[in-house]
Amino acid sequence: MQKVLISLLLCLILVGCGQKQEKQEQIISTETSYSSAFKKFMQQDDKLYVVNFWATWCVPCVKELPNFMKVDEEFKNEKNFKMILISMDKMADFESKVKTFVKENNITPDVYLLSDNKKMNEWIPKIHPNWSGAIPATAMYKNGKRVFFHEGTLTYEELKTIVNNHL
Amino acid sequence: MKKIVILILCVAAFSSCKKEVKKKVEQESQLKETVENIEEKQNENVRSGYKIGDEATDFKLIGTDDKKHSLADFPEAKGFIVIFSCNHCPYVVAYEDRIVALDAKYKPLGYPVIAINPNDASIQPEDGLQEMKIRAQEKGFTFPYLADEGQKIFPQYGATRTPHVFILQKENNKNIVKYIGAIDDNFEDANDVTEKYVESAVDALLNGEEIKQKETVAIGCTIKVKK
Repeated sequence: MQKVLISLLLCLILVGCGQKQEKQEQIISTETSYSSAFKKFMQQDDKLYVVNFWATWCVPCVKELPNFMKVDEEFKNEKNFKMILISMDKMADFESKVKTFVKENNITPDVYLLSDNKKMNEWIPKIHPNWSGAIPATAMYKNGKRVFFHEGTLTYEELKTIVNNHL
Repeated sequence: MKKIVILILCVAAFSSCKKEVKKKVEQESQLKETVENIEEKQNENVRSGYKIGDEATDFKLIGTDDKKHSLADFPEAKGFIVIFSCNHCPYVVAYEDRIVALDAKYKPLGYPVIAINPNDASIQPEDGLQEMKIRAQEKGFTFPYLADEGQKIFPQYGATRTPHVFILQKENNKNIVKYIGAIDDNFEDANDVTEKYVESAVDALLNGEEIKQKETVAIGCTIKVKK
């Protein structure tokens, strides 16, 4: 009987520790200026930042997100990898639509809603001069520099290969 | 006998395995090529489609009134506000009233709105001609709302999203592209717009002045292309 108890306790401790070791809390927040949002992925830390521009109403974006989640799952424990989602939803939809979507669809990366919508003509060309503004679009940054950009969807295999190319 | 059977089985297993390996190698090289293409594309400096100053093509597209429409049907017009638009896109929906207002203001001045839906209805059923008719009636569209059937027109213009505006001016019977971009700088709140890009551009054309911002970008919905 004692043995069973001890092993049960051990199990509990192990499970508890396992949960504690999980990575930092996911951030879901609004960013009122594009420069503060850009700071999240333009950092001098040797990390590869995969930045996906999406919206809950954007059908092709929502369709490709599972590919991104699969890649994030595989890479998120790598020291030099971080995925960030930038939502183009309306500020008014943040609580009702964006947060609900993130919860219901097991979206694991940090999500920022960019409410700086009057500056689109300013910040879109800063991501890539040829980006027309159509979403989905994906950019990758390393040490503050863009190393990849694509307007359109990516498959799981494509995204994984590109991440490996730049990691 | 037993030995032969085993041998045959081995050969069969080996050859099927070989096929699979070959298939995998093929898939991998195809993926490599696709990724290379994607990576290369970001370094291209030219956007496809029209640039400012190019001559825009005319078209003959079916509208929500079941009639074909062309730019040539407007001999009195000084130019056009061509807007690639659709039914389903929330960014378009946010702009619908403003598009109607643009037509009300600028049609009498010689710059009517022409809306073209570039999406393929088999990919986006809400954007079919029947649905377009309903939307045009509901919203009281005063301008032609056309379907780019066969998706031949939007790639020539270089439209990539909805809404995507091309302002044309007639010069020597040609329609010259004068502005490409967004309607204004705030899709979310029409009452909090600082820059009315399209209005400023058409006003400049009417006054014979230089357009200050000839190209702008904004977030929009991708054009749904038939696969």
